Amino acid sequence: MSVDPDAVDAAFFDELRKHYSDDEIVELGAFIGFNLGYHTFFGTLKFYPLFAPDGRLVGQAESEKLYGAAPASLGKAEAVE
Amino acid sequence: MTHIAPLPKDAIADPELRALIAEAETLGVPDDLFPRILARAPEQAVPLMRALIMSHAQGNVDHRLKETMRILLARFANDKYFASLRSNKARGMGLTEARIDDGCFAYEDDAKGFSAAEKCALRYADLMFLDANQIDKAFYDEMKRYWSEARIMELGAFIAFHYGMQMFMRSLGGKAAV
Repeated sequence: MSVDPDAVDAAFFDELRKHYSDDEIVELGAFIGFNLGYHTFFGTLKFYPLFAPDGRLVGQAESEKLYGAAPASLGKAEAVE
Repeated sequence: MTHIAPLPKDAIADPELRALIAEAETLGVPDDLFPRILARAPEQAVPLMRALIMSHAQGNVDHRLKETMRILLARFANDKYFASLRSNKARGMGLTEARIDDGCFAYEDDAKGFSAAEKCALRYADLMFLDANQIDKAFYDEMKRYWSEARIMELGAFIAFHYGMQMFMRSLGGKAAV
């Protein structure tokens, strides 16, 4: 939906239906759309996770050093080491 | 026909969702198609519809500006459904198709008469999903010259939410009846 929305076509929905009900697909689609929008917005605000990967509560400056400029979910695993 | 069929209106029993659908139909955005699809996930449908209407038609930022931003985003998302819908409230406030097109494609042109605050807000919507890296500290400093932090959050949340729902509707292949 984010990187190649044209690939979410009828064939893709047919594939989804092998695993999920139509009601569940709507739930997933709304969830993805919501997150697609908000995580881009949040990224512009430059705030970082409150917790380090080891569970410590950290300030924004330390968290920025730990997590870097890119969201961890979109980067390589090393980004959060 | 959308990839996921909408529920018939009479299959929606939740009075709150029915009221939100009626409110949206009065506003014109969305029409009943989007909420009837959302109604398949009723726990999500009510808060999503409430947020969709509230963020668009309420708040402290001029509704005509938000309507223009919403259409700019829908066109960028290539979502034919939301791009074709129009707010009756904004139309009643004097927003025309020509002004919408100017706001989408020529807002930086001084001859079009957009204020510096409007230009900055439209640029915010334009850049958010085109190149979010340009929405940096300098950009927010510029926004703060014209908008309070509360209104910047209102605009940012509005942009994020509506674009997300537009991309969802695009994936469903939705088209408005109009």
